[in-house]
Amino acid sequence: MNARHLPRFVSLALVLTALSASAQEQVLDPAAVRHRLFSPEQRLEASFTVGLPAREYLTAHYNLNAGLAYNFFNTLALEARAGYALSRHTGLARSISESFLAREDKKITDELEDMWEMNLHGVVGARWAPIYGKLSLLADETAHFQAYLWAGGGLASLRRQSVIQCTQVVNRDLGICDNRTDPNNGLTATQSFWRVDTRMAPVATGAVGFRFFLSNGHAVRFELRDWVFTDEYRVNVERELWEQGRESGTPAPNPGLTHLVQFDLGYSFIF
Amino acid sequence: MRPTAFLAVLLSASLASAQEETPAPPSETAPIPVKPELKPPAPDAPPPPVPEPLDTQAPVPPQDAPLATSGESELRPVADPNEQRLVNGAPLHNPNVAVHVVQKKRFADEGRHEFTLYPVVAQVNGRFTEHAGSALHYTYHLQENFGLQLSSTYNWYSNESLFNLELIDKVREQAQAASALLLVWGAQAGVEVTPLYGKFAFYDNHLLQFSLVLNGGAGIGSTRVLVRPEVSNQVDGESFTVPARFGDTGTKFLGSVGGGFRVQFGDSMALRLEVRDLVYTARVDRVDGCNLQDFQKLEDARGSGQDFSQLGLTGGCQYKKFDGVDPKTRKNYREDIVLGKDLVSNPSSDVLNNLSFYGGFSFLF
Repeated sequence: MNARHLPRFVSLALVLTALSASAQEQVLDPAAVRHRLFSPEQRLEASFTVGLPAREYLTAHYNLNAGLAYNFFNTLALEARAGYALSRHTGLARSISESFLAREDKKITDELEDMWEMNLHGVVGARWAPIYGKLSLLADETAHFQAYLWAGGGLASLRRQSVIQCTQVVNRDLGICDNRTDPNNGLTATQSFWRVDTRMAPVATGAVGFRFFLSNGHAVRFELRDWVFTDEYRVNVERELWEQGRESGTPAPNPGLTHLVQFDLGYSFIF
Repeated sequence: MRPTAFLAVLLSASLASAQEETPAPPSETAPIPVKPELKPPAPDAPPPPVPEPLDTQAPVPPQDAPLATSGESELRPVADPNEQRLVNGAPLHNPNVAVHVVQKKRFADEGRHEFTLYPVVAQVNGRFTEHAGSALHYTYHLQENFGLQLSSTYNWYSNESLFNLELIDKVREQAQAASALLLVWGAQAGVEVTPLYGKFAFYDNHLLQFSLVLNGGAGIGSTRVLVRPEVSNQVDGESFTVPARFGDTGTKFLGSVGGGFRVQFGDSMALRLEVRDLVYTARVDRVDGCNLQDFQKLEDARGSGQDFSQLGLTGGCQYKKFDGVDPKTRKNYREDIVLGKDLVSNPSSDVLNNLSFYGGFSFLF
């Protein structure tokens, strides 16, 4: 094909594409999924969810939540959630804390980021569910679902246990900073000497999820949820000072945000 | 035949094909027969009156009408035709029709080819590693719910995570080399099943069809490991930024499982949103083909200024990568020998899960 034929080829290809697109538009229905199994509009809704960590670095959270929502429309609801997150240090954090006590080549350092653990919390947010669909499970069985976005904010109590600053070193070689009776079993400890900080902080949370209607008023929900709050940690902390129980270091100037990403599994009852 | 004439013939064929494949929309004004609700008759109630047909001409059900409407003896016409407008063969406004579900798939997949381009593939579970890339998949739908799949992925960004670098900087800890192995590219063959399908509406406006897809496969992937992060090099009072250096750790066995949604737009376009877990075995005992003995020889020769080609290294050892000076940054590559030796001095192994989000577009034909 030479250059003279190229414009004709392009124009014909464009015509073909336009015709194809037009034909595809004709098979798109202007109507939608009309018959909802259950319409939550102007109904109250109670829910219970369990959140599991989607990714773990130094902390892990298992989040228990109860919620109350009012569905203004089928697509929009206001929801209040409150709960408590069971949190812990991961194995990686414990490994770092044990080895760092014996390290002699790092006398001045910065605290690690994203070490705050969320405990009690309460948030209020809006749930926008513009998508309603049906999923064919078996020959005669269908599951009705809504897909939604959730955004809101509130307050959370946070706790931070350092893996660097030990105020009372029991055994430096074994990395022991608690009152354990068995050096090889940390579960025998009743008191930890790692530095602990607590605070209340604003928390923002957003989620994307599905809820499947089981029958009249019952639904299960699956979410991917992110809890976000500001981080705080100290920099340039000196080992000799903190091991003497003295304050050391300065707050980090730009600590950034901490994200707790979780998979939520929940149940809702719509009154 | 001249190209334009040939295309004109193609155009005519396309128009004829479109007219054949696009069924005529059902009449919105014709009365639609529906199945009445089955209710137990009251003992004293008179027998229900036989409805008079509104039109003497018998209504013709569309080809994809639901089976529930097929009983002629139980049919009765409906007064308001607008409430009975057919969508996918079902009068969606009629409360007497119980089945408003997906009667049949509107777009058949069997025997079709599907190319999917994923412009963005982003790792979502990176603790010690970070990956971002693109992927191209080809699927041949052998049956309606089963297809064969070839997939390729190229990570145009793969590096150790900021979290790992933070551990190195603050507490002098880092992941083992095998746990921080980076995937450069992967190629796999596998299968895909679509066990579930459905439809959804956005704000009751447009109806879209989707399928739940599950896939799995096996193949090979090329891996590398970070030898040296980006550093600043000071030479004769000048400062040069030396980019990070990676070492080849060879091809590894690769497996994957995944799942997601395929939302179909028309007959030949689809949007795919998937999550796929690439699993690969990781064992780091060679970097750029050089094992611990090779690095030991290179380090000894570096001190004595000996020519590396005379050392009797193993055949695959790419010693030239650890020799010479970069003309741009004036970085002496011999300084990286000790870093390579550290990586293989304690051979490590792991099984890595690279969980990534795939967002892409499909073309079916």
